[in-house]
Amino acid sequence: MKPVAFDYERPASLEDAIALLSGAGARVLAGGQSLGPMLNLRLAQPELLVDITYIPELKTAERQGDGLWLGACVTHAEIEDGAVPDVTNGALAFVAGGIAYRAVRNRGTVGGSLAHADPAADWVTCLSALGADAVIAGPSGERRVPVSEFLSGAFETALEVGEILRGVWIPTLSSAASWGYYKFCRKAGDFAEAIGAVLQDPERGIVRTVLGATNARPIVIDGAYGDESVRASIDSQGGDMDAYDRQVHFVTAKRAAMIAGVRVA
Amino acid sequence: MKSIALTVNGEAVRGTVEPRTSLADFLREDLLLTGAHLGCEQGVCGACTVMIDGAPARSCIALAVACDGTEIRTIEGFDDDPRMAQLRAAFTKEHALQCGYCTPGMLISSHDIVSRLPDADEARVREELSGNLCRCTGYVGIVRAVRSCLGETVPEVEKAPAFKVERDMPAPAPAAPPAAMPSGAPELLQSFTVAHRTDAVWAVFQDIEAVATCMPGVSLTAKPTDGHVEGQVAIKLGPIAAAFAGTAQVTLDDTQRSGVISGQGRDSGSGSSVRGEVTFTVVPFGAETRVDVTVAYALTGALGQFARGGIVNDLASRLTADFSANLQARLEGRAVETTEIAGGSLFFNALWSVIRRLFGRG
Repeated sequence: MKPVAFDYERPASLEDAIALLSGAGARVLAGGQSLGPMLNLRLAQPELLVDITYIPELKTAERQGDGLWLGACVTHAEIEDGAVPDVTNGALAFVAGGIAYRAVRNRGTVGGSLAHADPAADWVTCLSALGADAVIAGPSGERRVPVSEFLSGAFETALEVGEILRGVWIPTLSSAASWGYYKFCRKAGDFAEAIGAVLQDPERGIVRTVLGATNARPIVIDGAYGDESVRASIDSQGGDMDAYDRQVHFVTAKRAAMIAGVRVA
Repeated sequence: MKSIALTVNGEAVRGTVEPRTSLADFLREDLLLTGAHLGCEQGVCGACTVMIDGAPARSCIALAVACDGTEIRTIEGFDDDPRMAQLRAAFTKEHALQCGYCTPGMLISSHDIVSRLPDADEARVREELSGNLCRCTGYVGIVRAVRSCLGETVPEVEKAPAFKVERDMPAPAPAAPPAAMPSGAPELLQSFTVAHRTDAVWAVFQDIEAVATCMPGVSLTAKPTDGHVEGQVAIKLGPIAAAFAGTAQVTLDDTQRSGVISGQGRDSGSGSSVRGEVTFTVVPFGAETRVDVTVAYALTGALGQFARGGIVNDLASRLTADFSANLQARLEGRAVETTEIAGGSLFFNALWSVIRRLFGRG
């Protein structure tokens, strides 16, 4: 099937993009690797696509203060290939390399994936574990939301009408920090059934366990890892998961903790 | 229409395209470069893979207009490429193709693997090829062919003879009619409580129009007669927008305070159809009332492509909460709030539930 007719604009600046998005029926195109299939199946029928991938500032990646600024339109492949500075002891490159397939990673972007807000996608879980912020630009200026609170539900985000996810800011890990990321899916490149992400950064006093590919936003557990606290969090925040889902999420979290070298006994 | 200028296989090309035209259609229909094949048209199968600015990409989900100014290389542009000649020879030697439909995409992905990952082992080659589906070979020959080209110095090769394929394309088959709901269709159970007496709650359920008002996104297009309802359910979820138009039959059992809604609907936009049965029971729960809802549904069409996992459960609980809040508001004489996302709790729950059962892990 072919998409419905829509218009296409390629703004050169963020201001122009925000202005174009004020109209009803306008949607951001930021790589289109998730939106593309939805367009072809006519599940999405926008009136206007605003292609933000040619806005130079959204393609930037640089150290900024005590962290890394990643523009929304940096591709997964660029992160995988180490074309952005590494502040996470390799975590970003590892996670990027596990997203879908290379042909998708070459066009798919970190901002596009986050804003699409599929709970089973990688960045929302990974960036929640790293303590990243989503940087949002809109008609009334800029604001920041922790990535762990960016999703309001499946396919729904904190973005208001006319707002654009400009990028993410990721705090620099100390050199002693370790991380573990474990994704369970049936087939290479498929969407995850469960994701576990664990960060241990003793110099900054952080131990954090994140359970992704849940029903909505990821479950974030701060503090020392414990089987019981993970199970309790799944029970209280996992929504309507069945016994299998709960077990798979528990196991992925525990494996991530073991990979991170966190004490799990 | 938009004017685009790009480079295709080394030649400058200008074209005028509708914004919705995919790169694949532009290459195949306008430039008659039919080497890139269309399989799934949703970025899964990899048959349409081409190089955009030197990196493999799906041409079925890349818009031609978004490729304005880029450099495209299709399988036809590799005729004189020594590395591709080596891969072609290896594919022949290892029987890495049978029907050949996936082969253009396979070759382009393989070219990328051989160029980018000269040290890849078999596991890595398989992982890197996982985005290209082949239904003939079982992949063994393809993996062997790619591995045989890894780490090799690229030899000088003779130019392969060009050939041309001509054939008549058959007309597309008509769309299959929506399937009937399978017997023993999976069920979704939802319960909620309303802080009102059972009599009052049941009275609302007896009024079809009142129930419809409590389901945001639902609009009736005709006055219900003898339990027969015609209407529409609008759904919005992120980029997904659908409007199911259809009919339903409502049967109530006053003594049991229960009812059955049996209906079907079709979203003409996405060509998705849904049919199913909703059973509800209104029972006393202390001083309040509990409503138990059981839904059995079957969904066909494009919407079925998009769901996995617990997304459905999250939606189901959010939407049930909306419906119950609206019901409560109505019982207290307050205005019923309508939110566009809650596309009619019962319909919507069911729809996602079936997607989940078909494609998810439930």
